[in-house]
Amino acid sequence: MAGTALAPAKVRVKTSEKRGHRSRIALVNAVPVTVFLLVLFVYPIIGVLSLSLEGDSGGFTLHWYADALSGVNLSVLLSTLRISAETALLSLLVGFVLAHAIARMRPVFAALAMLIVVVPHFISALVRTYGWIIMLGEHGILNTLATSLHAPGAPYSLLYNETGVVIGTTSVMLPYTVLVLQGVMRGVDGRLLAAAAGFGASRFTIFRRIYLPLVAPGIGTAGLLSFILCLGYYITPALMGGGKQTVVAALIDQQVMQQDQWNGAAAFGVILLLLTFAGLGVLGLAKLRRKKTAARRSSS
Amino acid sequence: MEANRIGRRTVLRTAGALAAATAVTGCGTLMGTGESRGSSGGGKKRLVVSNSGGAYNDALTKAIYEPFAKETGITVTTVNYQSAQIIAQVKQGRPQVDLMDNTLLNFQKMARLECLEPVDHDRLKSVKGAGIAEHNLPEHAVGKNVWASVMAYRTDSLKRVPKSWADFWNTDAFAGPRSLQSAEADLPELEFALLADGVPLDKLYPLDVDRAFASMSRIRGDVKKFWNTGALPAVLLGRKEVVATSLWGGRADELIKQGQPVAYQWNGARRMTNGWGIPKGADNTDAAYKLIDFSLRPEVQAAFAKLSPTGGPVVPAATKQLSDDVLATLPTSPQNLKTGFDADAAWWDENRDAVIKRWQEWADA
Repeated sequence: MAGTALAPAKVRVKTSEKRGHRSRIALVNAVPVTVFLLVLFVYPIIGVLSLSLEGDSGGFTLHWYADALSGVNLSVLLSTLRISAETALLSLLVGFVLAHAIARMRPVFAALAMLIVVVPHFISALVRTYGWIIMLGEHGILNTLATSLHAPGAPYSLLYNETGVVIGTTSVMLPYTVLVLQGVMRGVDGRLLAAAAGFGASRFTIFRRIYLPLVAPGIGTAGLLSFILCLGYYITPALMGGGKQTVVAALIDQQVMQQDQWNGAAAFGVILLLLTFAGLGVLGLAKLRRKKTAARRSSS
Repeated sequence: MEANRIGRRTVLRTAGALAAATAVTGCGTLMGTGESRGSSGGGKKRLVVSNSGGAYNDALTKAIYEPFAKETGITVTTVNYQSAQIIAQVKQGRPQVDLMDNTLLNFQKMARLECLEPVDHDRLKSVKGAGIAEHNLPEHAVGKNVWASVMAYRTDSLKRVPKSWADFWNTDAFAGPRSLQSAEADLPELEFALLADGVPLDKLYPLDVDRAFASMSRIRGDVKKFWNTGALPAVLLGRKEVVATSLWGGRADELIKQGQPVAYQWNGARRMTNGWGIPKGADNTDAAYKLIDFSLRPEVQAAFAKLSPTGGPVVPAATKQLSDDVLATLPTSPQNLKTGFDADAAWWDENRDAVIKRWQEWADA
């Protein structure tokens, strides 16, 4: 017993030594990337930050943040958050079903299905929007079908309102959610599900108690990823939304390109960045909690 | 017309929320080595010109840049910078272009921000006695071509021809969804709202902003989409999403060519002039003046007008070299000059920020 207990300890010492050596090499390897990030990412962000705190005639001010968080700007910020949340939810829902289907396909078909999900995004946004008009417009395929079937309420207004925006942004975010979810789903050990079934669990119980907890980390990551991406997204809301679906990125564009208002735009940028960090923080906390409970379970 | 607001570049630029903001600090230093400036030294002479790209750039290249290079040996290199980028470059100390092609409105803004060199109009042979309108020769710029925002409508959906913006606003007699330009694309069309409300053409400026927004509110319920990119209104018209819209003159040409029942209404068109401006600190002015001068020759003006619907000549003599077919599509044909109006660049420069703010509040309400 003693021998078997010692052996792994020895191995552990060796690996940690090796690891120390390796991490030193890794550190050297990381230098170019670090320099690259410092120059191209950290430095500009500091620039943006200082720009957002600079008054019209120099000096420190919080005026741009107060402006960004009041009146119509606040309303735009809130609708950006709302649209992002709706998009994250919907793309999770659709993405889950899609990823679930793709994860069970044979590799060839799975690759083909992924291609179908991803390829439309190589097409110019304007052309894609044209496609959406053909699909969702007043005289589009969907509405023509609905009216000919005498569906109640048809034709539906599916464009130039929030419905249109969320349909559009969801389709844009879908590849990300599908990719993330599918990766997690492929990692699920089928034997666990089979074992649960062997113990007489219903399909719903297996899904709820076994499958869902196993893919939960993927759901969190995918949802957050699409939420964050959506926060800074601009083109689809602009083309498929109405007057009330102005998003923060559109305000930034207007302030910079038309009004030469870099300070205000920088404040918006920083706010979006902080929101992104907040999202990542939530995800990190969730991961930490999962690890802790897992550790507690294994120790008890 | 810093057209195509939402082009592929814009997507890239605004892809991440911070991308636009990082560009603030990033570009100035990083792009220094990029598109190098054309210096007058060395064997081959070069002139770096910015314009809004796309079909506009194609027409300019064919009608102006290439013949100019043939005659003078100065090659024109074009870059696609908008005025905001060049203002940032000037503030960093060194513009990346020798000469800009932009709207006179943006030049007004740049002059206010002290980002432009004054233009010596006496150095331009083509200007003397050419009869160019005074508002197209401001202190810091030279007008070159006139484009317009006009009405376009579906002839099959509307039983009668809408003759004015008042008809456009009259949703009882001319029923059907419409679209108008959003402040995101360019100046909102307050003038059209005022014309519809009965303000005469010559009494538009200074704009009565309250009255304009009140008029806008009246039609808002029938406006399906306030378009924010130049290509969208024609798409909406072509797909029958709207029966009438405002658009940049020429944007419905493709539909009409395809035989779609679409027509323009030039009455009440809002004209804007694109022109030349020299960013402060540019040091290739000799070549720049040569190109400006060249572009104002009547035959060059006419050549550009034939290639681009944005090419309304500023030189009246050029119109004599154009056929009636071409003239009918140009904002500065004798006929269209009478029924349209020039946007007042000075008024808009002074009031643009306030109007945009008000527009955002109005749209959000």
